Amino acid sequence: MNSPGFTDSKSKIISCIKKFRSAGSVILPNAKPDLAEKIEYPSLNEEELLSGFIEELKALEVDSYVEYSPENVRERLRSLIHGKSILSWEPQSLPYDLGTILEKENVIYGRDEITVQTKAEIGLTGCDAAIAETGSLVLVQKKGQPKTASLLPFVHVAVVKKSEIYFSMGEFFVKDGKEAAGSPCVNIITGPSRTADIEQTLTIGVHGPGKVIVVIGP
Amino acid sequence: MSTFSARVKSVINDNDLQIALSKATTKLSSGREASIASLENADLIRDMARRAKLNILHNLDENLLKFEHRLIDNGVNVHWAEKGTDACEVVIKIAQKRGIKKVAKSKSMVSEEIHLNEALIKAGLQVIETDLGEYIVQLADDRPSHIIAPIMHMTRHRVGEIMHRHLNVPYTDDIKELARYAREKLRSEFLSAEIGITGANFGVVETGTICIVTNEGNARMVTTLPKIHIVIMSLEKLVPTLADLDLMLKILARSATGQKLTSYTTLIHGPKVDEENVGPEEVHVILLDNGRTGIFGSEQAEILGCIRCGACLNICPVYKNIGGHAYGDVYPGPIGSVLTPGLKGLLEWKDLPYASSLCGACKDVCPVRLDIPQMLLSLRKNAIKEKIPFGLKIGMKGFGIITAYPGLYKFIRNIGSLFLRLIGRDGWIKRFPANWLIPTDLLNGWTKVRDFKVPARKSFQDMWIEREKSYE
Repeated sequence: MNSPGFTDSKSKIISCIKKFRSAGSVILPNAKPDLAEKIEYPSLNEEELLSGFIEELKALEVDSYVEYSPENVRERLRSLIHGKSILSWEPQSLPYDLGTILEKENVIYGRDEITVQTKAEIGLTGCDAAIAETGSLVLVQKKGQPKTASLLPFVHVAVVKKSEIYFSMGEFFVKDGKEAAGSPCVNIITGPSRTADIEQTLTIGVHGPGKVIVVIGP
Repeated sequence: MSTFSARVKSVINDNDLQIALSKATTKLSSGREASIASLENADLIRDMARRAKLNILHNLDENLLKFEHRLIDNGVNVHWAEKGTDACEVVIKIAQKRGIKKVAKSKSMVSEEIHLNEALIKAGLQVIETDLGEYIVQLADDRPSHIIAPIMHMTRHRVGEIMHRHLNVPYTDDIKELARYAREKLRSEFLSAEIGITGANFGVVETGTICIVTNEGNARMVTTLPKIHIVIMSLEKLVPTLADLDLMLKILARSATGQKLTSYTTLIHGPKVDEENVGPEEVHVILLDNGRTGIFGSEQAEILGCIRCGACLNICPVYKNIGGHAYGDVYPGPIGSVLTPGLKGLLEWKDLPYASSLCGACKDVCPVRLDIPQMLLSLRKNAIKEKIPFGLKIGMKGFGIITAYPGLYKFIRNIGSLFLRLIGRDGWIKRFPANWLIPTDLLNGWTKVRDFKVPARKSFQDMWIEREKSYE
């Protein structure tokens, strides 16, 4: 589809930059040479990461529940979603056999018509990683994990495994960045949808979910 | 186009604007301060982020080619645009080839810069802005006045009026209710748009990642629901690796709003791969120059390291008083005073480098430590070089002669001092006399905007000599 004009743009841009560089006329400061190569993160155990994560969630006004067995997670989920229309990840992509509680509910999936998906009241997702430092949820788009579930409904319920909590995003990138880069889309979600456009006053739930609930299991 | 001083005059007495500006900039600045203070290793992180940006710029051509390569590997269509009009043309061609009529946009400064909306509308397309602030701007046919807070200049009453008039909804100034109106109205637009257009906050060379951050979730909508996603990205948005992206994300939201992270950080790598999922079938990236290579070859090349957080606007004593519109173009504040002359030509925009007291606050708060005051100074130097006003030329020459002869200097100084003391009243000069000898505007240009203190009877030089004598 590229008309000759656009390949022309490319060669013009690149040759212009090259010309300045080879003429030695680029006036750019050098960065401090003796900087550390990377930032050292505190090494925290699972419990410390969990409590840090929960603290951040609280600051973001995200409700969180910590459950100590798969049964308790399922019970908690049932009480949160029962009777509502639910836009969910596929059962096999959810942890703790959550598919079993979905059988009796009104569930919509990512493969359904978008006009149907947009009517759901609650979005149900798992989570590929959680970030303790910022209270973020990392959701990687892949088979069975539609990104609409964390976007269209007004309420988003995410189920997090305790072992998936990292301290910082940098750590997640180091460990799983390559895999994440193979997905068409990765969403890092930090609290509910918000705006402060009008008089810099915080308002919740503009386009995405206005309420985020996190259930953390063993 | 109006002059800078005319634009300033029109805003400086606007009471609503002054209240809105002072409220908003104070809030954002204090948010930034607290947030950066609570970030461990903040100084190191800022230094490292600066290094990452400078490293990209030092090898910009190679990084661009590498990034293009990665994008193509990821299944993304890459276009290059030397000028803004080229970029608009790419978007129009994509739409026309598929018979598409409706486009939804998330907030993008670069699309403002190239006047994308006007071009698309002219080509018969319908364009919907979906960021709440930009949506209001579009409804009111206004212009954004801040990089991250487009309607900083409006009160909620004004927003209520605009929505009431254009959306046929009851008037309210309840902010929650206003946001709900936007959610409802825009949800159907997201569903019916066939192209989603976004800018990019960062492009990661290593992985071909396009990173977009928003708080509202509108960028997620336009990169999820329409079947085509077009990214317009200016050349300088690159960072080397995902680890560097992490550094940028650590400082961007903190510097912009005081948040640790924006609500949504979206990493795009290409079109959807499996049929069951929702997502765009095509992703296009337009790499835009529009004057940046010119800046790259200038003394202000460092400005290309800017990550558009807006912190320098909120802290600037000039911006705080005049707001964004007075800067006359898309990028306001200290960053705009460097960027606009660079992108559009110094001759036409030579006032902007002077819209600064050179206090250095912008440099202090800049997360990547751009030396904005130094760049403003070098632009001032170039502005003078391009065309020195005749009066200034004569004046400087005269001053040079006078200061070369101490006796002459003293003589002129005494006459000047006497003259000023004679026309002063109660220690102040409020206006200079004008008569057949002195034209009115020659000296009153100064007293029009400020009063002038009458000089002391004894000059500093005289006091110094006396002091030296008293020690003898």
